[in-house]
Amino acid sequence: MWAIYKKELKNYFLSPIGYVYIGIFLLACSLFFYLDIFTYQSSDFANLFGSSSTVLTFIVPVLTMRMFAEERKNGTEQILLTSPKSITQIVLGKFCAAVSVVIIATLATLMYFLVLKCFGVPHIATALVSILGFALLSIAYVSFGMFASSITENQIIAAVISVGFFLLSWFLPSMIYSASNFSLMYAFYMSFMNGTIAIDNLTLLLSFTLMFVLFTIIVIQKRKLVK
Amino acid sequence: MIEVKNITKKYGKFIAVDDISFEVKDHEIIGFLGPNGAGKSTTMNMITGYIEPSRGKIIINGYDISKSPKKAKRQIGYMPENVPLYNELTVKEFLNYMAELKNVKKKEKKEAINKIIEETGLKDVENKIIKKISRGYKQRVSLAGALVGNPDILILDEPTVGLDPKQITEIRTLIKKLGKSHTVILSSHILPEVSQICQKVIIINKGKILAIDTPENLEDQTKAENSILITVEDKENNMNKINSKIKAIKDIKLVKDNEDGTKQYLIIANKDNDIRKDLFDVLPKENITIFELKQTETTLEDAFLKVINNKESEIKKAENKGVTKKKRREEELNKMNKQDRRKAKKEDKKAERKAKKEQFNLEWEKEKEENKKIKEEAKLRKKEKNKSNKKASAKKEVIDKSSKINKKEVKNKSSKTNKKGGKK
Repeated sequence: MWAIYKKELKNYFLSPIGYVYIGIFLLACSLFFYLDIFTYQSSDFANLFGSSSTVLTFIVPVLTMRMFAEERKNGTEQILLTSPKSITQIVLGKFCAAVSVVIIATLATLMYFLVLKCFGVPHIATALVSILGFALLSIAYVSFGMFASSITENQIIAAVISVGFFLLSWFLPSMIYSASNFSLMYAFYMSFMNGTIAIDNLTLLLSFTLMFVLFTIIVIQKRKLVK
Repeated sequence: MIEVKNITKKYGKFIAVDDISFEVKDHEIIGFLGPNGAGKSTTMNMITGYIEPSRGKIIINGYDISKSPKKAKRQIGYMPENVPLYNELTVKEFLNYMAELKNVKKKEKKEAINKIIEETGLKDVENKIIKKISRGYKQRVSLAGALVGNPDILILDEPTVGLDPKQITEIRTLIKKLGKSHTVILSSHILPEVSQICQKVIIINKGKILAIDTPENLEDQTKAENSILITVEDKENNMNKINSKIKAIKDIKLVKDNEDGTKQYLIIANKDNDIRKDLFDVLPKENITIFELKQTETTLEDAFLKVINNKESEIKKAENKGVTKKKRREEELNKMNKQDRRKAKKEDKKAERKAKKEQFNLEWEKEKEENKKIKEEAKLRKKEKNKSNKKASAKKEVIDKSSKINKKEVKNKSSKTNKKGGKK
């Protein structure tokens, strides 16, 4: 697993994708930092994530779309799947690499916290909880993006599927109220943003992640039969 | 040792590989031969565990590829068709990654990779990005990737496609060298290549094995007749009388009438008789001077085409039979009344259904039996394993004891020699 993890992580930073993801994410964060915090002169760090979580809808698919689709198209999955590594190891290796990039980006938001600290007295515990929540949200998104990448050979289709799904989970709750119980973004808004960790929301995020990692493993295992 | 047992691969209704079974022994070089779309790559992909067969099983050095894939895959080095590679890595990085994928130990990794780079002649490009090296080098990188981890079995899918003649000969000699210490399966649609490299050839077409044999035997099989090409100066036109002088001759044909007075004939004789000696004896007596005499050789190419054509014509015949039957039946139906026709059609459909059902039942029973067999085999294997384990443990004890004794002896000896050395 570590061999695949190392190679994938290296790949993110050999190609522009890793830089693009972190760059655009931080650009958006800076924008929202200015709009949501600076202009209102508040010291509530969590406000930063309110808007920037919507950006994840569009940038996580950029990160995840190539995970399996590219290998499938180039045929390099033949190298991977005929090596003595189990499919679980392969999927987890790739997943962990993408998660690492996402977490690096999330941790970089701590610099805004430092800026706030220069001008006011932000509450550190709530800030940490909101960062944790944001990291969990992005990891859940990555798991779905990976799943989307595993079911198609075309990177663009993979990206479109994930963007569509994230948009649904963003807007569906405002149309059907009961859907908000299952919306990832709402799970983040409801508790982590306020600096609290609610068990039901935490479970939603973690189980969603686990489910789609498992789905990816199953998809790749079953594709052996129909290839 | 690779055992392929009755594997079938279906894509919907299309059957890519149809009930193939064969065996490859250790240190054998086997060639898969067949036209495009024959099922060569599909079979190879199934052996390497990339694709799961719809039916049947593959056992590699005792490990079932679908039941214990990790152990089975460890035995195999695979060079896929179209050489897929990670274009953004350098050659060395790629080989490093392959070594990590194949669980090569860290200490041995560097040495092993350097050795492989030397073997495959990649020294010049080892630090270049794979995207930027030429096709021939890419092919070699792919082969090097298969060699990493020193697997017992090498599976090479069209290893020489897209190379220039010099590179082809280089890769061929490399494969021959590897064949001494590895089991090699390679596929190709180039015949001379297979007949040069391989000890055994599997001819495959439309998902079915048509022949498994050595290249020489295959050539012999198709050589039903012994034909000789002869150029002579024959002023008295005695060539036609030779038939009666040498009885083994079946037929004489004039091939070419050269303008300088010589003529070229094709003489066909029985397979077992070599008539060249007779020709040299008889022809001068008939006032015929021999300019040139040559035995025409059948090549693997002929064998290949002949085998494929034979099978295809058989299949076509069977198909034609079915078609003519249907046509006849239709004609019969057309002659009948409306009511009768309806009845007859219904009956036909019934009969068809019955036949289908019967076939299905037959297949079902076959599958049942196969499953039973597989279970029994597994049981037997378990028993054997237990037995061998017991034996091994018993042996170990014996060996331990004997080794202890040996060690003692060695110690004694060494101490003696030391003493002697000391004295000197």
